Amino acid sequence: MKDLWFFLKLFKPHSGWLAAGIVLSLLTAVAAIALLTLSGWFISATALAGLIISDGNTLAFNFMLPAAQIRALAIIRTVARYGERLVTHEATFRVLAGVRSWFFEQLIPLVPGRLATMRSGDLLSRMTADIDALDALYLRLLAPASVALLGLMAVSIFLAFYAPIISLATGLMLMMATLAVPWLFNRLGHAGAEQLVVLSANFRIRQVDMMQGFADLLANQAYGRFSDFLGQVSDLMLNTQRQNNRLSAIASALTFLLAQLTVLLVLVLAIMLFKQSLLSGTALVAVVFCVLASFELVSPLPLALQMLGKTQKAARRIRQVAEMSPTTPPSIPTLALPESYDLELKNVSFRYPDQQNWVLKNINLVIAQGSKIAIVGISGSGKTTLLQLLMRYYDPDQGNVLLAGQPLTQLDAEQLMSCFGVLSQRSQLFAASIKENLLIAKPKASTAELASAIKASGLDKFISYLPEGLDTWVGESGVMVSGGEARRIALARLYLKNAPILILDEPTEGLDSETGKDIFTALANFAIDKTVIMVTHREAGLALVDVVYGIEQGVLNSSFAHFF
Amino acid sequence: MQLTEIDNQNSFDNNKAREKICARWLKEQGKSVHKLILLAASIGIINGVAVIVQAAALAFLLQAIIIDQLPWAALIKPLLLLSGVFVLRSLCIYGHQILGFEAGAQVRASVRRQLLDQFLILGPSEIKQHQSGSLSAVTLEQVDALENYFSRYLPQQIIVGIVPLLMIMVVMPVNWVVGLIFLLTGPLIPVFMALVGMGAASANRSQFLAMARMSGYFLDRLQGLTTLKLFGQASSELIAINQIADGFREKTMAVLKIAFLSSAVLEFFSAVAVALVAVYVGLGLLGQIHFGPADHIGFSEALFVLLLAPEFFMPLKQLAINYHDRAAALGATDAILTILEKIPATNTDGRSSHKTSLIEFDSVSKSYGQRQVLTAIKLHIAAGEKIALIGESGAGKTTIFNLLLGFEPPTAGHVLLNGLSLNRESAAKAIAWVGQNAYIFHGSIKDNIALADPDASEQRINNAAQAAGVTEFSAQLPDGLLTQIGERGYGLSGGQVQRIALARAFLKNADIILLDEPTANLDSANKTELLAVIDQLFKDKTLVIATHDPLVINRMAKKIVLQQGRLLL
Repeated sequence: MKDLWFFLKLFKPHSGWLAAGIVLSLLTAVAAIALLTLSGWFISATALAGLIISDGNTLAFNFMLPAAQIRALAIIRTVARYGERLVTHEATFRVLAGVRSWFFEQLIPLVPGRLATMRSGDLLSRMTADIDALDALYLRLLAPASVALLGLMAVSIFLAFYAPIISLATGLMLMMATLAVPWLFNRLGHAGAEQLVVLSANFRIRQVDMMQGFADLLANQAYGRFSDFLGQVSDLMLNTQRQNNRLSAIASALTFLLAQLTVLLVLVLAIMLFKQSLLSGTALVAVVFCVLASFELVSPLPLALQMLGKTQKAARRIRQVAEMSPTTPPSIPTLALPESYDLELKNVSFRYPDQQNWVLKNINLVIAQGSKIAIVGISGSGKTTLLQLLMRYYDPDQGNVLLAGQPLTQLDAEQLMSCFGVLSQRSQLFAASIKENLLIAKPKASTAELASAIKASGLDKFISYLPEGLDTWVGESGVMVSGGEARRIALARLYLKNAPILILDEPTEGLDSETGKDIFTALANFAIDKTVIMVTHREAGLALVDVVYGIEQGVLNSSFAHFF
Repeated sequence: MQLTEIDNQNSFDNNKAREKICARWLKEQGKSVHKLILLAASIGIINGVAVIVQAAALAFLLQAIIIDQLPWAALIKPLLLLSGVFVLRSLCIYGHQILGFEAGAQVRASVRRQLLDQFLILGPSEIKQHQSGSLSAVTLEQVDALENYFSRYLPQQIIVGIVPLLMIMVVMPVNWVVGLIFLLTGPLIPVFMALVGMGAASANRSQFLAMARMSGYFLDRLQGLTTLKLFGQASSELIAINQIADGFREKTMAVLKIAFLSSAVLEFFSAVAVALVAVYVGLGLLGQIHFGPADHIGFSEALFVLLLAPEFFMPLKQLAINYHDRAAALGATDAILTILEKIPATNTDGRSSHKTSLIEFDSVSKSYGQRQVLTAIKLHIAAGEKIALIGESGAGKTTIFNLLLGFEPPTAGHVLLNGLSLNRESAAKAIAWVGQNAYIFHGSIKDNIALADPDASEQRINNAAQAAGVTEFSAQLPDGLLTQIGERGYGLSGGQVQRIALARAFLKNADIILLDEPTANLDSANKTELLAVIDQLFKDKTLVIATHDPLVINRMAKKIVLQQGRLLL
């Protein structure tokens, strides 16, 4: 529940919309109940009046007013329903938008260090699905629960005018039917639900295992065996769901039965009161119809309680991520960015949080402004981690990283970022036009600047083929961009940003040799007056640098000859 | 993010066409559980009949109490009947939910099976193009999203077609004017349903589209957050995200304003029906109107038709709610079908050769799209040969192995094994392969060695472990060969993974051994040691090692050199 409260606090700015939605839903429900109750009362009143008329005594029965009220209620119900749909959805959209931007804000300090471990798109997409799942919190949970509670109170008060005992019985029975029973069965189903979580995690791990080791399975004729096993896990999951479904079916049936028993109980009580002349005939009908109609109030509640668990889980996951602490604490007090860009690693050792092995061991390295170095090593040797320490994705566990003699920890993180231009094997393209993708590097770039960046990165040919040119949509659901073209876009961004230190992390990995050559030629022209720090496991591009270091299991060597 | 009207229209049209395909597939899946769905629907219909009986019993009771003022004794029977109906309806609710679930569960099990089989048909080159996380999301979450379509939507669709009609048929003889009111306010149920359905569907579609776009945009920026931060744009992106969310909200609400009319219409008819019935029978009872059977209305009949009026619209309302389940199922189907629809590249024409070399490449070419990887490879390998397949990275060595293993077919030419056209099954029988990054599965070292033959005797597994040098390091582990490993061989070094993979290949005892860069990631001391192991393990096998390591090349008797996809002789 704590997790849900946490999010309810985020809902606060939209409380007006949320409340309006609930009021309108309540109005719809109450109008529906009133309509049936009034109709029942009207019919019995007319029937009794009709009896008297046929007896010969003319008794004036004003049928105009209730008939008009009935029509009014029908209209109120329609209009309120429409308004309720609009307002609750408006409220939901507003809340979701708020949660989204809040979540994004929480993530900014966590990137890249803390979130590196959860880089996979799968996890992130689950996070967005989780945020979407939060819409149920209001639409399916908060709104129906409030409506049921307020509505039941209104019904009880109305019934109390006729017969307090009926009011009490109805209130208690319906509460029990709609809250106690689903709650009890939710508890009973708890073990099954937990087991389901474990089973589906198991299924996921197994399948990911299968997909990643797919070739090994095929070559060893083991795919059938593994997929049969997965089928068994799936059957187990279905069985657990079957048991849970049985519980929930019993709960629904029991809730319904209890609600119907309420009608029976009310009926018997009303007959007793009627026989003692404590309740008139028309009132009896009105009471029974009112209780019958109140089912509409409580019928969404069992479903709401079922949603509760799911929504809670989503809320918990979002909260866990949002409450992580960044890997690098903000620097206080911050110094102004120094004038020169000499970098130095001094006795730096580092290991990732929660891990045993040292990734970097006592590294000492001076990179003077304008010098050009490369660090070669196999994957896992620590070379990318070294780059990340230079850009302060992480702070070293021992030693210091210095920029112009100042420890990075005393510089403003955002200003520090402005010193680095990065070209890596992953060129992040956004779902936007090519132009917007380039402008990320320099939002105020002039057309001339854009043109020269495009020319320098060799993008001009590609763009000239596109009918929409620079405005062509790329990224998700856009034009397919090859790895080489994506890298060129990243290169053009590098030009636009024009940062003094170039960080090249396997800059031509995954490209064909022709494109790779192009990239290095372009880089060589661009990097003349800049510091270059490149890591690679290939020989290509080493002409760009003056000094080459080797790195092996976290230890930096000034020789690398034995590597190739 | 500018979206023009044309974009909207196009995506709408595409969606519509796609949705048709998805809907057809869903229907197809429903065939196998047709009986269960019918049964679930029948129970729903029985419930509907019980509603009619309940209304009749209540109406009778109220008349007996108020008008006829009957004593308790006369009320017992109808009260008992009422309780009986309540119990029956509860049982119906239980049965409906149980049977519906079964229908959904059976479909889900079968779709999961289809997906797992399809992965096998597609083969490794296709599988590699997907993130393994997203594939498991399809087999897990997306398949689960089908449940409610079969368990709720389909039975409800049948119920909607029958229960309201039953009610009209019952009401007509009681009071034909009220029957007419039902008939007109729920105007020709199928037409009305189609209207509601269309409204709900287009509302859903635009809502889903907007939501999907917004989530997509959000995910896109989330994944690129590092890049944004690097360019100092993270905070300004926050403003953009807010603006876009606002824009989407306005657009979506504009669409929803129209779409919600359908639920207002449903509400309107249901309210108007109750109001009309109440006023008509009420005034009839008063003797104020004389239209139709108004003069002969009895109190119990009046109550009966009034009680049925809201129930008449219940099935329809329920269906409108279940429309969300349908939309969710269609969305999931889209994801499932993108995998099931994929047609693997196959090489169907069988061919055999007279020459009886063990392996033959007959003018084999392979290209991926525009990129030509292998060009006209002609190659014979005889049993027992020891061959180094030499070439720079990217020269096509791994592709040759993939063709040999039947992972993918050649674009042109033929690969023959023992003179017969090679396929994945025959290759898997004849060949043991150790890839560049041999995969270690969750489980014990022993399980991993016995991958090809899980029933292998303890003795054979131990021998393989011994011969490949696995025991050298496993002896130092707490549980020896039974030590649990996994997740890319976490806790093992590259060399140790290689040895397990070699033990795996050795245990398989195939005629042909393919090793892909076995010495990459090893230092020279380890290399020499490993090469000695390889020599010893596979001395009477046909051995092909893809490599560009001089140390390996020098040890092999025959050398085949690849350069940019061509064989150098």
